[in-house]
Amino acid sequence: MKKLLYRMFPAMFLLSLPAGALAAETSVDSVSMLRFRQEATGFEKGTFIPFTQFLGVDVDKLGDGNLSLHLYGWGRLDLADRINQVDNSDSSIDGSLTYGYLQYRFNVANAHARAGRFSFNEGIIHEQVDGVSARTDLPYGFGISAFGGAPVHTISRPSVGTDGKGDGIFGGRFNYRWNGRFELGVSGVYETDAPTTSTTDPRFYGSHRLVGGDLFISPVSMFQISGRTSYDAETGNFAEHSYQFLVRPTDTLVVAATFDKQNYRDLFFSSILFTSPDFLNRLGEKNRAYGLSAVYNLNKNADLSGDFKYYNRDIGDADRFGGDLRLNFPEKSVRAGAGYHYLRASSVFAVLPIPSNSGSYHELRGWAMRDTSTYFASFDLINQIFKKEVEGKDAAWQGTATVGYHLSPDFSLSGDLTYGQNAQYNDELKGLIRLTYNKSTGKGGLK
Amino acid sequence: MRFISKIFPVLALAGMVLILSACAEMKAIPNLSPWHPEELAKGPVTCTECHEDQQKGTMKPFSAFNHTQIFLRSHGFYVGSDDRLCNTCHKRSFCADCHTVRTEVKPAEMLSDRPDRMAPHRGDYLTLHKIEGKLDPASCYRCHGRANNERCVGCHR
Repeated sequence: MKKLLYRMFPAMFLLSLPAGALAAETSVDSVSMLRFRQEATGFEKGTFIPFTQFLGVDVDKLGDGNLSLHLYGWGRLDLADRINQVDNSDSSIDGSLTYGYLQYRFNVANAHARAGRFSFNEGIIHEQVDGVSARTDLPYGFGISAFGGAPVHTISRPSVGTDGKGDGIFGGRFNYRWNGRFELGVSGVYETDAPTTSTTDPRFYGSHRLVGGDLFISPVSMFQISGRTSYDAETGNFAEHSYQFLVRPTDTLVVAATFDKQNYRDLFFSSILFTSPDFLNRLGEKNRAYGLSAVYNLNKNADLSGDFKYYNRDIGDADRFGGDLRLNFPEKSVRAGAGYHYLRASSVFAVLPIPSNSGSYHELRGWAMRDTSTYFASFDLINQIFKKEVEGKDAAWQGTATVGYHLSPDFSLSGDLTYGQNAQYNDELKGLIRLTYNKSTGKGGLK
Repeated sequence: MRFISKIFPVLALAGMVLILSACAEMKAIPNLSPWHPEELAKGPVTCTECHEDQQKGTMKPFSAFNHTQIFLRSHGFYVGSDDRLCNTCHKRSFCADCHTVRTEVKPAEMLSDRPDRMAPHRGDYLTLHKIEGKLDPASCYRCHGRANNERCVGCHR
């Protein structure tokens, strides 16, 4: 009898899958992109024609209605020669699975469990994992989440032959929330020993082990403090503090002050890329940045924002200021914007950091778009004017125009043309044809 | 030690009662709706246009989630504690337009038909990163720190 049951259960499960799938709500997001790029550097010209397929699938209400499947990834085929910048090989086919997991959503306490490849973003943790995770609200305002598995490996840094990640990873967050007005979370991540090489310096590079806390305080809706602090358990020092104090004096005005501080050695400690020789001289440095920004709602169609940020680095100071105007006319399906920013930075931040150079530049941007039920179009123009010439150019600019047609409510076909001149390329011409399919059989407003 | 062994059964019993009562309490904690019940307008939303800015249960005030330019720049703070609220309106693939394991195209190119969306690296960022990377390397680290993107390791070997 037992044997019969053991055989019946998997068979019943497999048989129930198509029925479950039929009852499911499915959402498909597909973008097929054929790009064309021609680059001219001096006398040499290169032509690149990659075809990329992005595909996302969400299947909800599987099984008992609480199970769902989520997949997203891309694949690329190069229709012209392409040289891999890392190993100089001809890589005409490539692809990646961004996420692919099954999720079971419980009926109470916002609890869910996941298995597969997913990203875990809680508190100070932002990890891409092949494994399992679970979270739930607990009574009296508490909550808990945890994950475990293997970190998703990426390509290796060529000179050391590793991506710098360990083989296993686990972590989680525990939080307390009071009436939605106060939240305190503690989180941590532990990755097994990082691979070492003969060229990696153990003073600057090692295993990925962080603990930290996050905070939200809003005694009244007008005031809000959000922030987080992370501590590297391997180096025994704080990696980062990042805090924002926000005030909403009226319904139409929001003002925010920010404070960020990073200790580069501790923040970059588990990154094989950021501890490469190019960055080693920065690892002993600290950065403090103070920001102030405001958004004012001029009327229901227009927002005006201004921002200022002061960077206080061991090697020098810099500041950036500017503003943006944003227009939105939903009844005419028109959105537009314009912005100006200036970065005032000394020669130590210049492309080539010698005393006669400068890191300062102006940036101007203007854009507009219209999206009706039949067609859509947009343009985007961006221009940087350098205080001192960069590689012989005193400015760079790029313009992109898009025209598209909604073949049906789910299908659209569009084309882009981008042209620019910059310090890298005398002429840069790029084209793109995009076929988009977005279909959802579920309900609700999914953006 | 003997005292502890004497009170251990009492503590264990109290712990079990606490766990059981917590489990019973959990059944009373409601779920957020998995989706937003109404179709949302195109463009950034202002939650308080429709929702009264009242605090319910452990939900944070709706005004905290109004999609102002400031919110968009600091959305990482909210994702770290309220991603299930984000998922009521956004498909999971919305985040993957920028946040991926391996980036096939830079977000500004992926979203070239959506100039209204925040997309890093618009224009000739290959030149600008030589300035911005020196100025604020931590801002690069957030996305590229452990991703080893092909475009990064091609030069920073």
